[in-house]
Amino acid sequence: MGAAQFRQVFLQPLQSNWSSQFPPPQGRWCSHLQCKGDAHREGTDLVCRRVFKLLSGTDSYSDPFCRAAARGDFFSVSHSNDDILSCVYKWISDSPALVVARSAPEETVTSSFASFIHAVRPEHLSKIVRHRSKRMILDSIGVGLVGSTTHVFDIALKYCLELYSSVAVSNVYGKPGMKLSPTLAAFTNGVATHSMDFDDTWHPATHPSGAVLPALLAASQMLPPNSKPNGLDFLLAFNVGLEVQGRLMHFSTEAHNIPKRFHPPSVVGTMGSAAATAKLLSLSMTQCTHALGIAASLAGAPMANAATQAKPLHIGNATRLGFEAALLAARGMEANPFILDDISGCSGFSAFYSIYQPRPLSTPSEHHEFLLEKQDIAFKRFPAHLGMHWVVDAALSVRNLFINYAGSFSPSLIRTIVLKIPVSKYINRPFPNSEHEARHSFQFNACTALLDGEVGLSSFTESSIHRQELRELLHKVVVEHPEDNVANFDKMYGEVAVLLKSGDVLTGKCDTFYGHWRKPLSRESLLKKFRSNASHVLPEEKVETIISMVDNLENLSDSSHLACSL
Amino acid sequence: MWAKTITGNFANVIHGLNKNHLTDMVIHRSKRMILDTFGVGLLGTSTEVCQKVKQYSKIYSSDISSTIWGHFDFRLPPLYAAFVNGVAVHSMDFDDTWHPATHPSGAVLPAVMALSEAFPQKKKISGLDLLLAFNVGIEVQGRLLRFSSEARNIPKRFHPPTVVGTMGSAAACAKLLALNQMKCKNTLAIAASYAGAPLANAATQTKPLHIGNAAKHGLEAACLASQGLQGNNQILDMESGIGAFYTDYNPQTLPNLQSYPWLLDQQDVAIKRFPAHLGTHWVADAASSVRRKLVENSDISLILDKIEKVIVKVPEVKYVNRPSPNSEHEARHSFQFVACSALLDGSMSIQSFASESIHRPALQELLCKTQLVHPSDNKPSFESLYCEVTVVLWDGNAISDRCNTFYGHWRKPLTKQDLEKKFQFNASEVLPAEAIEGIIETVYNLEKVEDCSVLNMFLSGQSARVFPEKLHFTHSNS
Repeated sequence: MGAAQFRQVFLQPLQSNWSSQFPPPQGRWCSHLQCKGDAHREGTDLVCRRVFKLLSGTDSYSDPFCRAAARGDFFSVSHSNDDILSCVYKWISDSPALVVARSAPEETVTSSFASFIHAVRPEHLSKIVRHRSKRMILDSIGVGLVGSTTHVFDIALKYCLELYSSVAVSNVYGKPGMKLSPTLAAFTNGVATHSMDFDDTWHPATHPSGAVLPALLAASQMLPPNSKPNGLDFLLAFNVGLEVQGRLMHFSTEAHNIPKRFHPPSVVGTMGSAAATAKLLSLSMTQCTHALGIAASLAGAPMANAATQAKPLHIGNATRLGFEAALLAARGMEANPFILDDISGCSGFSAFYSIYQPRPLSTPSEHHEFLLEKQDIAFKRFPAHLGMHWVVDAALSVRNLFINYAGSFSPSLIRTIVLKIPVSKYINRPFPNSEHEARHSFQFNACTALLDGEVGLSSFTESSIHRQELRELLHKVVVEHPEDNVANFDKMYGEVAVLLKSGDVLTGKCDTFYGHWRKPLSRESLLKKFRSNASHVLPEEKVETIISMVDNLENLSDSSHLACSL
Repeated sequence: MWAKTITGNFANVIHGLNKNHLTDMVIHRSKRMILDTFGVGLLGTSTEVCQKVKQYSKIYSSDISSTIWGHFDFRLPPLYAAFVNGVAVHSMDFDDTWHPATHPSGAVLPAVMALSEAFPQKKKISGLDLLLAFNVGIEVQGRLLRFSSEARNIPKRFHPPTVVGTMGSAAACAKLLALNQMKCKNTLAIAASYAGAPLANAATQTKPLHIGNAAKHGLEAACLASQGLQGNNQILDMESGIGAFYTDYNPQTLPNLQSYPWLLDQQDVAIKRFPAHLGTHWVADAASSVRRKLVENSDISLILDKIEKVIVKVPEVKYVNRPSPNSEHEARHSFQFVACSALLDGSMSIQSFASESIHRPALQELLCKTQLVHPSDNKPSFESLYCEVTVVLWDGNAISDRCNTFYGHWRKPLTKQDLEKKFQFNASEVLPAEAIEGIIETVYNLEKVEDCSVLNMFLSGQSARVFPEKLHFTHSNS
């Protein structure tokens, strides 16, 4: 939506009677702002000017309506889905003058629910509600009691008893001596893998390894000594998990682009984990079918939790819940055997897509061509969303040009920084406030690369995110979405243009960053990344052991040794 | 049969792939991925989010445990107690149904009951605390169901308890944990990442898992939020939040807390009389009265041969349209099966779904004569649907009856006696009489119960005589 439309849609309805539009929290916020108005006039005006500039595209800050709108109205519409709006919102909340605004409750549907849950008291329960709910409680208990005689209950119970009584057999990454039950170990290690968004990315977009590996490691430790999978079994199961994810990603053309509704690892990752563990546990074909069916019932997390701490949970849960699905299937639990097929009126796996065309996998004969054969993976060089890697490489080349031009990098010479990037809302964040938001911000990564000449682990600490120089640079960023730059990891590019006050323009473009599947990391770079990562928690000797175990994985006699060394 | 479906084909490939299929390239690339993932994971162990989940996961190696209903001999960690008891509640599809359609209690009650046992020793959860948390969980489900007009009708894509039930369980647990407003918001956000299971698993053993998982994952979301884990703070507002589960999402804020208008005040639930999909209850009542007209006092087997066909007018609900169900779970989701069973037996019961009942020849024969008709005025909504059963005889006569509101529907609620009768019958399968009476009395006096752990004791099968001091109400006027 363009600025003009934005103004029309969101601001004009508020113009006529904007004071009555405010529910109490905004009203409070507005009057608060008015009281503080004098003290913060300068800051408030600054914000208004920025907002106005954004809306009108000019610097002539005169329209009183825009001033009013800029002061208050954004909060009443802040739950809209508009890019510009969130940009304005961030702009405002970023301003020191409006710190009061940040602490005021935002009237969103979500917050109204949270307030309700938090604030509702027993006195609020009416007589009828108590009466009806007691009937429900009694009935629910009775139904549950009789249900405890069913077959499906027996399976669920046996599963829990076997796994959760006191069987803590599986290792937790970086915590020698700590053991958890297998599925919780998978969960924890899955969260660890995606905690910084540092794990691999495939095309079509998903993070395949983190959804599969922790479950396989935990499962290999769970299996009894006489049936431990060897390294090659392990490698096969891993590839089954990958293959299933890749094939499922090809069922929807939607999935080819960066997603909007469901986070892919939570959808295909759960299925991949179920397939991989089903393979490692040597389930029968019927059990494999049911494992996929059960896994579908555990799949799917909305995108909105991207750039929050809940996103790493998606990988943790994909690997854990897929594993649970396979364990339940192994105990005879049954699901819909057509879960991947397109059944109208009663959705299976298609529920997660609006376009869905399932295609069969070729039944393995002598040869099977794995997708990994045709399509390699992208490894990240720094812990952030994959899209950031293009922008960072482009920004680094601009920085070099800058240094050649001016002798050193001096932000004061810069008027505007233009980022030419694809449209993808959840990684377009003008002013990230947390580590997780920073990992999902084109703007942040470009500015950090310009400022520091590199992006690394330390770029995402609190102090780095909030330093003044960076914030100043962020204010100079303007985002453009060229039509030919599509939100697709196979096609996208990153372009950074720095407009100098002198009128000169410095431009850098990256079509393929180092680490992308078209330009894979060298063995040296990969080992360097691994050593640097692992040495944070493990002694050097162990780090080297892991490297050689993975190198010789097909010759490992018991794959649980790998899990034990983590 | 397998290879003809995509699903069977995938299973076939997963099962059939062997080590010889791995190429050097695939092995090489996958080893690089494995190594990289290890490094990334090892590094990730030091992150804040990872600390929180580790802390959370450790709960399960501690001594905290919760009651498994009907089992005196063992207990499970709260999360899995919620799961197992939730599966039990929905295992026969015998639990309550609300409007718009969901099974509200099963997602909430096992979670709050399990959580009530997970607090540090000293903390007592009163009956009123429990009632409030339960109602918060029910209310949140009802409000969320009103965010989409799609949700008004019987669903097609996601099974509602997996979407709103997970959120309801999370809300109820957040309430019981007395989380602050910010943590309540995070609870909802985290729960959304666990929500949503496709409807295709209806009529399979996996459907009961949906309720068990809703209870379990809502509890988990609240526990993670209480550890400080943060999610998107506008999860209910965004198309890419809870909106992801609907095509016509239109969220609304809740009413003011002053004289709060509970949905349960306006809209009661339906309580089932036999363990099957709610839609089949209309069918059972219509078919039972057709049978009464048909046979009066004689034996139905004498006139079976005279039946040419059975016409059942119901709304179009694909997953409850099953002409020849093969399993207990399919039978519970078959209009046809319930119509024929009620015609044969005069009523439905738990026994109707036993394997020998499903496969008896008389029933199979009748099923072959049964056809569904979907009149255009018969909408797939539990508020407005009806059922008309017509038995056409070879001699040209036709006997029919129609049910607009079955007994147990919110417009025609079960009497207190019948509700208790249902409970006593259900509970007597696994509990002694004293525990059963103890549960009835405790639930009826729930707002006066000082410590609701007594309820868990009864549920495990212990009787009040063992713990007379536990059965203590603040007022003794009952």
